[in-house]
Amino acid sequence: MSEAAHGSPLDAFHLPGLDPAEIEGWTVRQYGDGVALRFPQLRPDQLTAVLRCLREHRARVLADRPVAEIVAAIAAAAARLAREGDPRRRVALEALPAITGYSPPMVRLVLDRMVEDWSEPSLLSLLRSEFRDPGVLDGFRPHPSGEVGQRTRAFGPELAFHIFAGNVPGVAVTSIVRSLLVKAATFGKTASGEPLLPVLFAQTLAEVDRQLGECLGVTYWPGGSAALEAAAFEAADTIVVYGGAGVAEDVRRRAPAGRRVVVHGPRFSLGLIGRAALAAGVVDETAAQAARAVAVFDQQGCVSPHVYYVEQGGETTPARFAERLAAHLARLETELPRGAISPAEAGEIQAARADAEARAIAGADVRIHAPRGTGFTVIYDADPAFAPSPLNRTIRVKPVADLADAAELVRPVARLIQTVAVAGAGGRLDGLAERLGRAGASRITSLARMPWPPTTAHHDGQEPLRELVRWTDIEE
Amino acid sequence: MLDVEGRKIAAELREVFARGVDAPLDDATFDALARRVFAYQFERNEPYAAYCRRRGVTPEDVDHWTRIPAVPTAAFKHLTLVCGPLEEAEAVFRTSGTTLGPEQRGSHYMLDLTLYHASLVPNFAAYVLPDGAELPMLALVPPAKQVPDSSLIHMIDVVMDRLGADGSGYFVDPAAGILEDELDRALVGFIEQGTPVCLIGTAFSFVHWLDRLRERGRRYALPPGSRLMDTGGFKGRSREVPAEELRAMYAEWLGIPDDHCVNEYGMTELGSQFYDTVLRERVKTGAAGPRHKVAPPWVRTRVVSADTLEPLPPGEVGLLCHWDLANLGSVLAVQTEDLGRETDDGGFVVLGRASGAPPRGCSIAMDLLLEAAREARP
Repeated sequence: MSEAAHGSPLDAFHLPGLDPAEIEGWTVRQYGDGVALRFPQLRPDQLTAVLRCLREHRARVLADRPVAEIVAAIAAAAARLAREGDPRRRVALEALPAITGYSPPMVRLVLDRMVEDWSEPSLLSLLRSEFRDPGVLDGFRPHPSGEVGQRTRAFGPELAFHIFAGNVPGVAVTSIVRSLLVKAATFGKTASGEPLLPVLFAQTLAEVDRQLGECLGVTYWPGGSAALEAAAFEAADTIVVYGGAGVAEDVRRRAPAGRRVVVHGPRFSLGLIGRAALAAGVVDETAAQAARAVAVFDQQGCVSPHVYYVEQGGETTPARFAERLAAHLARLETELPRGAISPAEAGEIQAARADAEARAIAGADVRIHAPRGTGFTVIYDADPAFAPSPLNRTIRVKPVADLADAAELVRPVARLIQTVAVAGAGGRLDGLAERLGRAGASRITSLARMPWPPTTAHHDGQEPLRELVRWTDIEE
Repeated sequence: MLDVEGRKIAAELREVFARGVDAPLDDATFDALARRVFAYQFERNEPYAAYCRRRGVTPEDVDHWTRIPAVPTAAFKHLTLVCGPLEEAEAVFRTSGTTLGPEQRGSHYMLDLTLYHASLVPNFAAYVLPDGAELPMLALVPPAKQVPDSSLIHMIDVVMDRLGADGSGYFVDPAAGILEDELDRALVGFIEQGTPVCLIGTAFSFVHWLDRLRERGRRYALPPGSRLMDTGGFKGRSREVPAEELRAMYAEWLGIPDDHCVNEYGMTELGSQFYDTVLRERVKTGAAGPRHKVAPPWVRTRVVSADTLEPLPPGEVGLLCHWDLANLGSVLAVQTEDLGRETDDGGFVVLGRASGAPPRGCSIAMDLLLEAAREARP
């Protein structure tokens, strides 16, 4: 690792309006590989002052700014982060592996894919898909009703407070980008699992467009800092929170009356692989894509599959497909290595393997394909009952007589489903989508696209920009 | 009951156990016994033999006990790991339900309870009663006859019977919970007499009880020499309290000093148990020393990599793996899902279960998904 991310702690905050002389102390978080990040210890009144400052800047320079200009500025910042040699990109590539636990090739892959989501074409298509006429963010526009004299306009929050979670690089930036697109002063409290990229983005944005940079604040503080959070809840009119059900309930309880709370809870995903995708000529490509969908984010994303249901009666049996999948996961160990995991995480994988092996000895049709270490694990299990995965590249393969059976098998947990990748369903796709959608799934896609929802995807079934705005109509 | 060969080995093992925890069992002697036990089990315990054969291991291949394959605790859930007909079992101990649900309980069939007791009694006496004290034992568990399949309660029953003084008893009713008033009367009586006591129970039952004492502002100053043995995790049965905080609560509400609090680490799948060395060290040397556990001479414990299951050097965190001669009737080598690390002086520290680690990304933890699946079932 070069000097860029090494040695003295990196400042992982962007707090316009905070006088550095007023910082009374620092929180330093040590990650592996000599990477350390530093965050100011804010007093609640300092945070309140920063938030007031963000609101004032917004009123002055953001509220009346055409959305097209905001898109251009965000895209320019994203382009910098995409450019080899950019100093902040270098910091991201060097420090994020130690911070997030992902391998360097994984960090590079994820960063490059995420940056595409913040490009001008992606953002414009997001705006168009949600508003049809994005001009509603700039002024009154004809109402979609088409009634003569009826016009409408969308207003974003004055100040949106985002509470991030998890270690997937880019998720927090996407949330910030959405918030800026609807012209909200935006403050992000980062997660300890990935507190760096949002700051690098904010710094880059401030460089590209000073005014926009002054409407965005990002920092981290340790969990349980109730006084700081209370100050942010008080100042914000919208709260966007990522995390488990407990976190969301806690925020709803603590937020003062009248705050809009938008929650993105954890979700899980799975894949359905039909006979057409198991034909001799295509099965290898199917297995390759299925392996990649497991490997990306080391299976820690809400888009990552816990299980593949594989249809019987095709040219490749589900059990043979499990072998192919394992072969591709083995290949990915070099191309896209898994990151380091904790003994507890490895122990969970060992427990899953042990359970599978014991069932096999007891006579169940269960087969394990795995290297010596926990790098990946494919458990073929003839029992089709849904069973979750301990993740970190541990995937279950289960046979079904018909893909429609799989939709039934996951019904008990369907309200938690994010993505279902469907391959080789042919003309049955719509029928499957209907059943899965009814049950709760929010995205049906291909194996290849599984890890990378388009910017325009309904996030957990909702429209991420429309969730942030309120509307004013004129009837003349 | 064990078969003839088993009874012969058991008799030898009982002799070894009877020498106590201070009689060293050198590696060669342990190795010879362990390999004999392994060969015995390989011949009679078919699922275990199948497990070994999958690894290409037979007794002929094992030139040292470290190469005896350890079965994971999960195997006790799906396989009948016993060296004889089931009807010969004198008891069957079952693991408590986990997040996987009650149908996933593990079973440990005991062909020879006397061997279990032969390991249990000297080990417990050495670490909980190192001063030879004969104390009333007050147990925060229900009586064994009400919960016949709990190895912990069986164990408490045996030590109470063999080592407990008059006034020993159970203070939990499976339906009514902790019998607070009875316990209060008993403790007040012993305090008046100046008789030290030994409290025994699960960590979560102590937390429940101490929370109640705090609510009521009820505080005891138990006579000097009083002690406490706690065991087990919380598994959602009470609020989670870190061990150090719990010991501070024992001191505050019961008047039992830190070095008189002994944590026991045991599992249904093992015939032997492990205890904190603090009280024993305190009695023998005057200083409690660092808090860790040591295996009795008839058990070897190693810490193995959670990634590869290969042994780790002292200090590194991995999974605990035990070779326990007291497991003669089932499987002597057991790979646990418990995290720990070896200490420099040959002891080990238990760091908790390797489960329930929250996912680092935005996917859902296994146990939460399982819970959701169970809730959805009619």
